[in-house]
Amino acid sequence: MSEHQIVVIGLGGVGSILIERLARFLNYSRDISCKILLLDGDTYELKNYSRQEFSEIGSKAEIKEVELQMKYPRLRFMSENVYITEANIGNYIKEGNIIFVCVDNHKSRKIISNYCKNLKNVTVFSGGNEFEDGNVQIYVRRDGVDLTPDLCAYHPEIQNPEDKLPTEMTCEELANSEPQLYFTNLGVATIMCWAFYNVIIRQKILRSEIYFDITTMTSDAKTRVLKKE
Amino acid sequence: MASFTREQLERMTVRELKEMCAYDLNMPGYSKKTKDVVIDAILEKFGKKTESSKASVKTSGPMTGMEFQAQSILTKPDAPFGSKTTTTIHVSCGASSGNFPVVGRTVGQVADFLREVLNVDKLSTGLVNGQEVSSNYVLKSGDSLEFLKPAGRKGC
Repeated sequence: MSEHQIVVIGLGGVGSILIERLARFLNYSRDISCKILLLDGDTYELKNYSRQEFSEIGSKAEIKEVELQMKYPRLRFMSENVYITEANIGNYIKEGNIIFVCVDNHKSRKIISNYCKNLKNVTVFSGGNEFEDGNVQIYVRRDGVDLTPDLCAYHPEIQNPEDKLPTEMTCEELANSEPQLYFTNLGVATIMCWAFYNVIIRQKILRSEIYFDITTMTSDAKTRVLKKE
Repeated sequence: MASFTREQLERMTVRELKEMCAYDLNMPGYSKKTKDVVIDAILEKFGKKTESSKASVKTSGPMTGMEFQAQSILTKPDAPFGSKTTTTIHVSCGASSGNFPVVGRTVGQVADFLREVLNVDKLSTGLVNGQEVSSNYVLKSGDSLEFLKPAGRKGC
């Protein structure tokens, strides 16, 4: 039986959809044992109804942990009501983890990517979207060697982020989030599931980045070469 | 068979020219072509330069879409005369992609030309066969070009 330690960072439009599908798959995969840590410092509010799946108002991470533990008893869920920062990331991400990055800012992606570059074994699936298009990046590191480029390698907007962490934002800034389309969140979550299935279950790293666009109804998977340090 | 001058061929009828192509010169495929195209093909067969083959390839300066496509077709070095096939390059940006006749053009020119078609960002970096290149890189047959699209920011 294979054992996995999964960390889901961000339980908003993408993360809340993703974790439901992932947990169902893992719970009924008899040869997989899993511990899943849910991280999000945000609370579920009425404005989230249109895109997010929660049974009640309150801490997203804690509500989702209770919901999923009841539905999927074979899995072991834990949660923390926190946002990832440079100061606390070491408390949550460990060697060998499988990490799903479902955040809404590039600064968090950079912190996660930089931290994971110093681990020996880690797998990162990072998704993000605009209103009608999105992408998923796959970062795999084994025995201290990158097998695919890290999240920043081909993305200067992540390497030099112009946005803020949720912990750096004012209440007003947090409240004024840009509109998102449920179907686009669903697209990102679905492609992250495909990536997980290929990399972890099939153990095939075919691609390192996948883009999709709802308006053109197209997707394209890219194989990126590793850059020399 | 003796060769012909352009003047001699122009005095012949289209029917005579096409029959000569089909029966005497072993040049099938010209029954629907215009007189000028058939004459050019016959002269080409006898190794004489035609107006078309003397056309030069402009490599700089602003272009219209038509010029862009026409020049790219002319840049295919080994295309047989009269062939409508062109060397195309796979160009992508994010989820959008296509094959375009851009051999001989620079990455910067292609970015400008396909900006709206592929939604290429003005500051987007070009990757040729996976490697970063400058905007002055001239595309060759067999290259594959990707313009990097920024990652989606949102998700929560």
